[in-house]
Amino acid sequence: MFSRWSHFIAYHRIAMDFILEGFFQAFTLLLSGNAETYSAIWSTVKVSSYSIGCSLLMGIPLGFCLGYFNFMGKKSLRTIVDTLMALPTVFIGLLVYALLTHRGPLGNFGLLFSLPGIAIGQTILAMPIIIGLTATAVESMDQKLRITIMSLGANRRQLFLSSLWECRHGILAGAIAAYGRVMTEVGISMMVGGNIKWHTRTITTAIALETNKGQFGMGVALGLVLLAIAFCVNVTISFLRQRY
Amino acid sequence: MPIYEIRSLKHSYAGKTVLAIEHLTVQPASILGLIGPNGSGKSTLLRLLGLIESPTQGKILFNGRLAEPFSDEARYLITMLPQEPFLMKRNVFSNVSYGLKLRGNGRDIVDKANKALFQVGLNSKDFARRPWYALSGGETQRVALAARLALKPKVLILDEPTASVDAASAHLIQRASLRARQELGTTLIIASHDWQWLYEICDEVLHLFRGKILGRGRKTIIFGPWQKLGMGIWGKILSDNQHLRVPPPPNPEAAAVIDDLSVSEDSTAIAGEGIVLSGTVSRLNLERKTGQLFATILVGDLPLTVALPPQQENEHDIFPGKPIFVSYRPDQIKWF
Repeated sequence: MFSRWSHFIAYHRIAMDFILEGFFQAFTLLLSGNAETYSAIWSTVKVSSYSIGCSLLMGIPLGFCLGYFNFMGKKSLRTIVDTLMALPTVFIGLLVYALLTHRGPLGNFGLLFSLPGIAIGQTILAMPIIIGLTATAVESMDQKLRITIMSLGANRRQLFLSSLWECRHGILAGAIAAYGRVMTEVGISMMVGGNIKWHTRTITTAIALETNKGQFGMGVALGLVLLAIAFCVNVTISFLRQRY
Repeated sequence: MPIYEIRSLKHSYAGKTVLAIEHLTVQPASILGLIGPNGSGKSTLLRLLGLIESPTQGKILFNGRLAEPFSDEARYLITMLPQEPFLMKRNVFSNVSYGLKLRGNGRDIVDKANKALFQVGLNSKDFARRPWYALSGGETQRVALAARLALKPKVLILDEPTASVDAASAHLIQRASLRARQELGTTLIIASHDWQWLYEICDEVLHLFRGKILGRGRKTIIFGPWQKLGMGIWGKILSDNQHLRVPPPPNPEAAAVIDDLSVSEDSTAIAGEGIVLSGTVSRLNLERKTGQLFATILVGDLPLTVALPPQQENEHDIFPGKPIFVSYRPDQIKWF
């Protein structure tokens, strides 16, 4: 009994040492400006910005239309969008890989194993989330809002923009959820990007690789950066929400 | 020329007709009141007149021209205050000035908004920067009305403007609406359950029931359900066990319109005029436009409105609380 307990303590002490060592290495890598670490960070920020930008540009108008207008097949379309919100990243990776590979329909563009290629995959991942949550925000918008805006003299464009502005908090929640999904996915980045050092290696693929290599320091450093980015995004959004 | 003319209008939701009006005109700078139970089509008619929706069938002419949502008439001349107060997620000033900005009425926006707030009894210093969530129900409704008054509309449509506010707010809302008509010649179209107020201020009062115009002017309307009292006699048993007897209705939910009610202190004096019920005078109202005095008589829990000829006011010395007899002729009842 005593032997089993001492074995348990020893095992966890080793694990804790690994993690603490990882944290120490993390700060060293970040503070010393380790080029490999910052390359992965930069790739992640770049590719996630592309994908979330495209998703918002296309997803918000589509989500608004889905939530605002009544048309035949709306319920079915809504079910499809809701299903796509749970798309597995490896499946998207496979799909985009098939599209971008040199034998695929978009093979001529040479996007496989590139950051724009990953961005395409991540856009497919984020867009259903933006569309679905925007549609939900618009559907839950008070019907009196439309009457109010129209009765105050809005034209169609003003009605659209004002309605959109009024459900901004719901849309923002959708954007945060989508951004979180994009930032933390591994499947698409790994399959479409190929995890090429200095080129398509993102934070998540780097963590997976470094952990496999036993390099916990690098993994923890990159994990901390992911957390810091998420924190900054949420603080900014929280500030904007209070301000507007 | 009437400011509104409705021709052969029908409006449906999910295939069910909720409003059918063959012909209706509204004169400029007049006050039109709409009375009717819930579901009678008042709000639907107001939304159509406010050009928020287009009718399923028929036409609505505004100043003789076909009017549609998002037309210039809808955007610049007509405004509507919906039944439940609603403000956008902005502060009071932004809400009041919002319509001015939408209509491109940007000059002197602060003055216009402050004046509108003053009209509804709100001090701009205290309220202008308040967020939408920091207002009471009455204040919210008054801010919503100020946003409409700031536009100086030709037509102001009010859907139950005082239904969910306290007496003080209701008074301020009523006063501000009437001032718009006095100062700007605004046409007012008001739906309200406060029929006493409507009778006092309106040039015309329409009674709506199940999407149709049931009648105009002051009427005593008694809604179903009706029950068989026995031997082919239909009616209602009132709370004081008196029987309100009527001829067989077309359906148990029909509405009965009683036009010729008579009152007297002596039941024998009006016994020959039909069925006599005993009640109590609960309220006297003066219709300002005609000078006509009306008495509301509670029979059990049923309010009946009777027009009092001038000599009767004096002869019987009618006042609230006085016991009185009311008679009606069942054969004169109209069913809807």
